[in-house]
Amino acid sequence: MQRRGPPETSTTVSPALPIPIVQLLQVVTIAAAAPGVSGVISRVEARLQGRAGPRVLQPYYDLAKLFRKEALAPDGSSWVFLAAPLGAMTCYLTVPLLIPVLTTFGLPLGYMGDILGGGFILSLASFLVAVAALETGSPYAQLGASRAKTFGAITEPVVLFVVFTVALVTGTDLPYALAATVRSSAGQIIRPAHLLAAAALFMVILYETARIPVETHSGTNEFGMIEEARPFEHSGPYFALLKWGSAMKQLILFTILLNVFVAPWGLASTPGLVPVLLAIAALVGKAALLGVVIAVIDNSFAKLRLFKITEFAAGAFLLAVLGVFTLYLGGG
Amino acid sequence: MPGIAAAAVAAPSALSGGADVIAVGVLLAEFGMFRQALLRDQVRLYAAQSALISVLAVVVAATRHLPDLYALAALSFALKAVIVPVVLRRLLRGIGAIGGDPRWSDIAGSHALSVASAVLVAIAVAAFGFFTVAALGIRSPVLPATALSVSVAVILVAFVLMIVRRDVVSQAIGFLSLENGVSLTALVVAAGLPLILEVAFLFDLLVAVVVFGLLIRVHHGRAESMSTADLTSLRG
Repeated sequence: MQRRGPPETSTTVSPALPIPIVQLLQVVTIAAAAPGVSGVISRVEARLQGRAGPRVLQPYYDLAKLFRKEALAPDGSSWVFLAAPLGAMTCYLTVPLLIPVLTTFGLPLGYMGDILGGGFILSLASFLVAVAALETGSPYAQLGASRAKTFGAITEPVVLFVVFTVALVTGTDLPYALAATVRSSAGQIIRPAHLLAAAALFMVILYETARIPVETHSGTNEFGMIEEARPFEHSGPYFALLKWGSAMKQLILFTILLNVFVAPWGLASTPGLVPVLLAIAALVGKAALLGVVIAVIDNSFAKLRLFKITEFAAGAFLLAVLGVFTLYLGGG
Repeated sequence: MPGIAAAAVAAPSALSGGADVIAVGVLLAEFGMFRQALLRDQVRLYAAQSALISVLAVVVAATRHLPDLYALAALSFALKAVIVPVVLRRLLRGIGAIGGDPRWSDIAGSHALSVASAVLVAIAVAAFGFFTVAALGIRSPVLPATALSVSVAVILVAFVLMIVRRDVVSQAIGFLSLENGVSLTALVVAAGLPLILEVAFLFDLLVAVVVFGLLIRVHHGRAESMSTADLTSLRG
């Protein structure tokens, strides 16, 4: 079982940080690095297409510009329209407390919720944004919201089956426990259930972060838009919060995939200053690498027709279900 | 939750895990053929699936010290991953060509169900295979944990492929990949099978390829299409 606190650290060279600071750093790292990761992806994507592309820091400039602009709300929209971005941002700031962002040991608030708890909070954020989009009365935003909820309903079973796999592998559904299991032996990494669950989760992440087999991410207006259509009517600081939130959601999902499933290495095992700083650097580096992979996928495949997205979801579901089967009915 | 932690499924050994991963790869290739719309891609996936089975034969040969399996792996790779796909493509050259391009054959849209529903049906059938093998309770130290269930699932999904797709090529590919499922089963259950038997099975496959090739050509010659829908009028 996981230890409920940091291990005794008598031999640390670097000064130890107080645990609440480490916990706060998890949130700050996600919030601060998220636009940068988006910037890396769009930069790499542009380079792959032979364009110069925007600066890596461009998303930060965009956010700064939007925060300085005035906010408008459509006629007839209620307070929900303006409250939703704040609520969604709160959700995205909460989830990094629950997942292993920087440390291998569970932080005090890390046991508030398991993987399902984190999933609920992410869904709540997406629900709030969808409600705000419906509030506007704009057909584009409503279309995006209704599509996001429709396809969300068919990717949700995939997430559930991935969680079942985790639960069967570790006997618990705490993300820290799975990361520790993956680190424990090579047999845990190449067992088919683990690989299938990780692949299924990756496909869900492609959907959730609005990447290419499902949706183009370039921000142009088109009929195939899903996630990107929802904040159409928001402006100023509220739009900035939504953009920042979706970048954070992307980095949160990357962190779950990297630090729990694929590469739970480079995390700090003690609350020392140097290990924590190294963990921050490692997380940003790993997320940037994953971003490069996603940019390559973005450039290698065509966008699916809207009605073909069910096939994509069926593929992810197949992987997740096979993961549970191989575990439950064979010990794979 | 310390009580629940004891229920965790222990990891298989790295080698058994690797064999399982290859077996799952074979099953995924089967699902890939199942939803593939182009003839060319279907044949390619069949070649990939056969190559995976040869790799598994090498792994089994190395772990269980069965040198004649190396010969089988080489022979099965040459036959199923190279010769059969080439022969299939040769046989199908010019058939069902759209706009003079022989790579585009009219097997797209031959699904009796939509792709997503067909995949769900195949998942249900594969689940049946998994549950059946689990109910048999076969346990052996040399048997990779899930490979047997996976191989039964491959055979069942190959059947579903032949039932759900309404074109002659998919049915031929389904039959050939069914043989892949059978050789996967043979590898995990009876790796020590005499070489001569395995080779006999492989050459049986060559006969099947010729028969199916002939069937496809004759059918296409008569009906000007790959679809088996025209065959329903033969009912008495």
